[in-house]
Amino acid sequence: MTKRRMFLRMITASLLRRRSRMLIALLSIGIGATILAGLVTIYVDVPRQMGAQFRSYGANMLILPDGDSALTPDSLQTALAAIPADELVGAASYRYVRLDMTSRQQSFTAAGTDFEQITKTSPYFSVEGSYPSATREVLVGKEIADTIGVKTGSTMTLTWQPAQGAAEKSPEESRTPGAVLSGSAEGFGGGLVYVAAQLDSETRIASLTVDASTQTPEYGGLLAEDEAFLAQFTGKTLPLTLGEGIDAFSGATVTSAAVVDALNRAVSAGEQAQVKTVNFLVAGILTTGGEEEGYLFISLEDMAIMTGSDALDVAELSVSAGAEQLQAYADSISEQGGVQARLVKRVTRSEAAVLTKLQSLVFLVTAVVLLLTMICVSTTMMAVVSERRREIGLRKALGASDGSIRAEFLGEGLFLGALGGVLGAVLGFVFAQVVSVNVFGSSITFQPLLLPIAVIVSMAVSAVSCLMPIKRAVAIDPALVLKGE
Amino acid sequence: MSLLELRNVSKIYGELKALDNVSIHVDQGEWVAIMGPSGSGKSTMMNIIGCMDKPTSGQVLLDGVDIARESSKRLTDIRRDKIGLIFQQFHMVSYLTAVENVMVSQYYHSMPDEKEALEALERVGLRERARHLPSQLSGGEQQRVCVARALINHPELILADEPTGNLDEANENIVLDLFAQLHREGTTLIVVTHDPEVADAAQRTIVLEHGKLLKEVVNEHFGE
Repeated sequence: MTKRRMFLRMITASLLRRRSRMLIALLSIGIGATILAGLVTIYVDVPRQMGAQFRSYGANMLILPDGDSALTPDSLQTALAAIPADELVGAASYRYVRLDMTSRQQSFTAAGTDFEQITKTSPYFSVEGSYPSATREVLVGKEIADTIGVKTGSTMTLTWQPAQGAAEKSPEESRTPGAVLSGSAEGFGGGLVYVAAQLDSETRIASLTVDASTQTPEYGGLLAEDEAFLAQFTGKTLPLTLGEGIDAFSGATVTSAAVVDALNRAVSAGEQAQVKTVNFLVAGILTTGGEEEGYLFISLEDMAIMTGSDALDVAELSVSAGAEQLQAYADSISEQGGVQARLVKRVTRSEAAVLTKLQSLVFLVTAVVLLLTMICVSTTMMAVVSERRREIGLRKALGASDGSIRAEFLGEGLFLGALGGVLGAVLGFVFAQVVSVNVFGSSITFQPLLLPIAVIVSMAVSAVSCLMPIKRAVAIDPALVLKGE
Repeated sequence: MSLLELRNVSKIYGELKALDNVSIHVDQGEWVAIMGPSGSGKSTMMNIIGCMDKPTSGQVLLDGVDIARESSKRLTDIRRDKIGLIFQQFHMVSYLTAVENVMVSQYYHSMPDEKEALEALERVGLRERARHLPSQLSGGEQQRVCVARALINHPELILADEPTGNLDEANENIVLDLFAQLHREGTTLIVVTHDPEVADAAQRTIVLEHGKLLKEVVNEHFGE
């Protein structure tokens, strides 16, 4: 038998045949290791766990047009492909224009956006009423609502005018084959009637849709659904005159005239034709506590109809990733060209700060637990040494050097540490799982690296805990075995 | 030729002279008993001979080496290599079996050898009890294991401190028979005792009193 085998035989016998005392030491190491392993698991998992929580603070990345190239829904989609779908919480795109409210002689900044995405990127938006869900509905910032005194259910008539000197389209340009012409005109009682006409290859009207929901339901309101009335327009070339090839809808002459008028305006030459006026229903009032309260929000579809373009100004992205990963995504998007991506530093930095604080807290608790474990193990080992004074004296009398005594106690400590570490890694994972489910509401995956870490740390802790007891053991006088005590 | 020689050895604890200028010698192969009432300095002498304490003054020559001048680390080495100890309280490692207890001594000395350890147990008549824990052995059996442990490394000197103090007569006789056997094989034995019967088994008895050598008695009936 080698010395090493005898050594192992002695320390295992000491642990296995003296169960009760060692069980206490093992338990304290095991519990320490459990909490350690649990907290380390949480520590590692916190960024992922918190990632989802953080997304309620709003977008953390912006995508902007780069230089001269415009941001379009297509180029945005290309950019978004750089971010894994499961990390992309939401992407709300915005188009900002000034819209006039002529009745009030005021103009406001209006943002065209995707309301479904806004609920994801800006969950803190508080809406009184509801988000617009249909066309020609507007979400009004609280500041504007207070200024002009609109409420949910009110109507706002908004007009878009192209910037001075913007390219003007001639009637010929408007009448390009296959184009969709849209326009509006005042109908009965001042309500706007909207039309959209699809042109065929010879710039004649191929089909016509009318929205007359502002008109009296029993009269003008019926016109939009009346196939005979709408069919009259097919094959006609604009402009038209009511009564010349187009008969007014029975009982709704004013509405019929508005349809013709709207179509004519859609193709009439000059700046006048580009001006679009649309009646919006106020779907809700937006409170954010920020500058958004000074904006109007309409759907991107409405924005495209009013301005005749689907260009975007910016997209706000909410991505569930750490600051470094986020920067990597932003860089790769910017490298693709066409658009540039930027991080919202205010959000990413405060996220990082919160994470750091949370992790330091976990770290601190771990350190305290380790310290307590150390004290507990040290106390137990101290008791073990006093209990075994005679045995230690005997070993020394039999010729054990101080080194052998140290090795034996350290060996027992390390063995206990390893055992406690394995116990702790398993229980710690369970502990972390319970904490994770209860605190963060999501489960965690087992980190295989946890096992060696827990074992090594508990071995180190128990080795350190054994230092004082070992010192005491070494100091024991072998002569005590001679006295017939 | 003397294996052990104490020359003018004194051990002073403060005011107390535990050993006062004592000179003795023990020859190679001799069986010597040390007797005396408690407080006579037996234990102190035993500690010094057992390399577990150093005298305040004087020389202690063990196999020609003055152990009074050695460092405590060297003393441990000398004790391990030259001395086999037997105690009144037996002192076994409670969680190790009989054979493992014998092997502990081998472990510190050189190499654990289970076969040899079993042979040693056979010699003290405990081959069948080798796998028992101390708690499963009687006092006599435990002391016999300790004898096996003391002789396993073939020490030049076996130092026994009241080896029969906790034993009944039958076991006392077994242990003394073992000593006689060891003596015949040439092992030097020093037995500290207050029991005249045990002292009578030895060749020579050294009697201490108040830390001084009172007398030395040669047992003329030795071996009878």
